[in-house]
Amino acid sequence: MKHLAYRWKSRFVIILVVSIIISALLILLDLTEWATQINEQGFTHEAEKGKNIPSALMYILPFIKEIILICVPMFLSLLVIKAFSIIKKKKKG
Amino acid sequence: MSNWKENLQKTRYVMDVVLLVSFMIVSAPQATGIMLHEWLSLLFIVPFAIHLMLHWDWIKKSYGQLFLKSPAKERFNIVWDFIIYIMMLVVFVSGFLVSVALLPAFNVNIQIQDFWSKIHHDSATLIMPMIGVHLALHWDWIITFTKKMISKRG
Repeated sequence: MKHLAYRWKSRFVIILVVSIIISALLILLDLTEWATQINEQGFTHEAEKGKNIPSALMYILPFIKEIILICVPMFLSLLVIKAFSIIKKKKKG
Repeated sequence: MSNWKENLQKTRYVMDVVLLVSFMIVSAPQATGIMLHEWLSLLFIVPFAIHLMLHWDWIKKSYGQLFLKSPAKERFNIVWDFIIYIMMLVVFVSGFLVSVALLPAFNVNIQIQDFWSKIHHDSATLIMPMIGVHLALHWDWIITFTKKMISKRG
């Protein structure tokens, strides 16, 4: 993979350093009032509440959820992009 | 498809498919189990970093393009991609901070806070529709290269 191998070390180090710096800044959120408030309120994952789902569905449902969460906004965005291009064409024509 | 390693666009396509499939696997802890979810998430850094490295030139010129007279769609795409990158880091960071298998395996024991559990859950859910929009913005490229990869002539 020549395109990936090209200057990969320097590029990877830059990506890693930038990501670590941003991640370190994100950890500072821990010190905010927002974090304190959520820690005081507590948090329970919704999925932990409904555990009486058939075992086969436990493996399938997460992927169906992902497909819906990705594909619905994707198709809505495609509609918006299409609508914008039609409007643009009409304005030009 | 045999010469995909020689062509930048085809390399990007193959690695993007790997990235999407691995993203879908690591985003389903209910299916994989928490332990596998955490170890696979660590491995997921590799295709994610590859994705960024294969778009290195685009990343370099994107900042300048934001302030040029580029089309609104292109500028939105640049901003959106940077937001996804930050969101992915939020998912990673919060994921490490709520780790119950990965960090203890390295003898790192941290007290899990509800704040990071909520952030991890919410950001991991939010990033899915964000990726949906990201895919829509590159839809024409996806269709073009899917056809090219499928066709025998390549």
